[in-house]
Amino acid sequence: MTVTATRPATSRVRPAAAPRRHGRRWPLYTLLTIMSLLTLGPFIAMVIVALTPRGEPTVPVQWPDSLTFDNITQVLSASGFAEWTINSLIYSAVSVVIILLTSSMAGYAFAKKRFPGRDTMLWTFLATMMVPFQATLIPLYVLVSDFGGADTFWGLIVPTLANSQAVFLMRQFILGLPDELFDAAKVDGASELRVYWTIVVPLTKPILATLGVFVFLWHWNDFLWPLVISQSDATRTLTVGLTVLKTEELQWSMLMSSAAISAVPCLLVFFLLQRYLVNSIAMTGLK
Amino acid sequence: MRHRLRDPVTGLLFVLPMLVLFLIFRIFPTLGAAGMSLTNWNIGGEWSFTGADNYARLVNDPNFWSSLRATLVYTVIYVPLVMAVSLGTALLLNSIVFMRGLFRGILFLPYVTSFVFAGIIWRWIYEFDGLINGLLAKLDLGPVAFMERSELVLPALALVSCWKGFGYSMLILLAGLKAIPGSYLEAAKVDGAGPWQRFRGITLPLLKPALFFVLVIETIASFQVFDTIYVMTGGGPAKASYTLIYGIFERGFRFWEFGYAATWGMVLFAIVLVISLIQRRFVGRENT
Repeated sequence: MTVTATRPATSRVRPAAAPRRHGRRWPLYTLLTIMSLLTLGPFIAMVIVALTPRGEPTVPVQWPDSLTFDNITQVLSASGFAEWTINSLIYSAVSVVIILLTSSMAGYAFAKKRFPGRDTMLWTFLATMMVPFQATLIPLYVLVSDFGGADTFWGLIVPTLANSQAVFLMRQFILGLPDELFDAAKVDGASELRVYWTIVVPLTKPILATLGVFVFLWHWNDFLWPLVISQSDATRTLTVGLTVLKTEELQWSMLMSSAAISAVPCLLVFFLLQRYLVNSIAMTGLK
Repeated sequence: MRHRLRDPVTGLLFVLPMLVLFLIFRIFPTLGAAGMSLTNWNIGGEWSFTGADNYARLVNDPNFWSSLRATLVYTVIYVPLVMAVSLGTALLLNSIVFMRGLFRGILFLPYVTSFVFAGIIWRWIYEFDGLINGLLAKLDLGPVAFMERSELVLPALALVSCWKGFGYSMLILLAGLKAIPGSYLEAAKVDGAGPWQRFRGITLPLLKPALFFVLVIETIASFQVFDTIYVMTGGGPAKASYTLIYGIFERGFRFWEFGYAATWGMVLFAIVLVISLIQRRFVGRENT
């Protein structure tokens, strides 16, 4: 560490990634191309199988004689599928809104307020991160279903809103905001709610956006909780619906079409916000 | 100074919504899990206190031991695999400039999809008439029944999780690599250190915190594998992929033995807790 202190300028001028040598780069690019093909292969295979006409054998490593979008349209009009998609959207969107609101409020209080029991609470929140969700699955299910939450939207959504990662992320970010901002607003006579709404929310927009994307992905891709708490198409999410399809549908072309459609929102998020996602993982370790 | 006096109340009010959610849906079920594991709670909601009976049953349950074994074997395969792939790709990405963003994006892509999605695609890839056996047939090899052979099913599942998840660890390690000052490597090179020596002597020691973080995250993740198993194997063949979480799920939601299922959950809790505490200890040491 002493070296960094004495030579900070050099390290800034020359980042580790700067090309140090010319040529001899082709083995790196060859390896990366192979890894990329292995990563993309399953996606490509999925698209080909999804577009193979129904009834035609899905021959691997061979282009089908003709391609069709019939499977896709059929899946979209199949019973349940639209309902599952809407349920997934509700599950994800409602969770995003409520988690952003509650975690930024809690994060603000933990970072900038003094109140009795604050540190105990913070430590308890932190400690719950070590409890795997699956270990509490059974009591949580009993609790929610005893209150009539099985196969309802509140039973699906509300238990997943207790998110310690979100609270911590918000707290860390708000800790970095200067105290003077909040004090000045209060001297001007702004109410607490107004400080939250006109100072905390606008200043935390970048981190709220990042968190929002992650919460959306977590909920859109979530499986175990929806699997146990949804018992009919009324609340079944898309991931659970896919597994129902898998037990009923024997045609791989149909299954692949369904899987492909289910991933569209995630892929959209990826293509629109890739840089954003990548940077926030590197900076915050959000998983 | 007036606001200072109001702070205790407003602070609590701001925390309140999340606090209530936590108390009801995280803390209460955590305590509940420990409590339930001491009862014979079943689907009807009737229960009586049975003390350590569930734990005695667990110790004598061959299903439990085989599920623990399957989980550990899966971990032993998955963790080194995902560490090697994410470190390898991170090192490759760190040594190029041209098209780095493109490659990084492609390698990261599966991370945004769901495990259910991955499970369905890979189930087809492993089929008799699927992608891998199709490729093998071109070489006059196979077919291999990946999902029907108990010695192949866990490696096959580990590969799916690796495909879906390595992008995350790759990004963490890449950030770690970027934080290593180029001047260190330059200086070593001037002193005549070869690529391997530079990697062993500089990159690896400086990357240790990031590697440790990834190791812990991936180990915990491997103990929680469920979605792909539910989609692809249903715990089979012959319970070869019947992991701890699958056991919790089946005990709870197929046999409706909530008390006993909670006992399985306590084992998972204990394992994850131990890993987290080890991490805490090491990270604490590094900071001092």
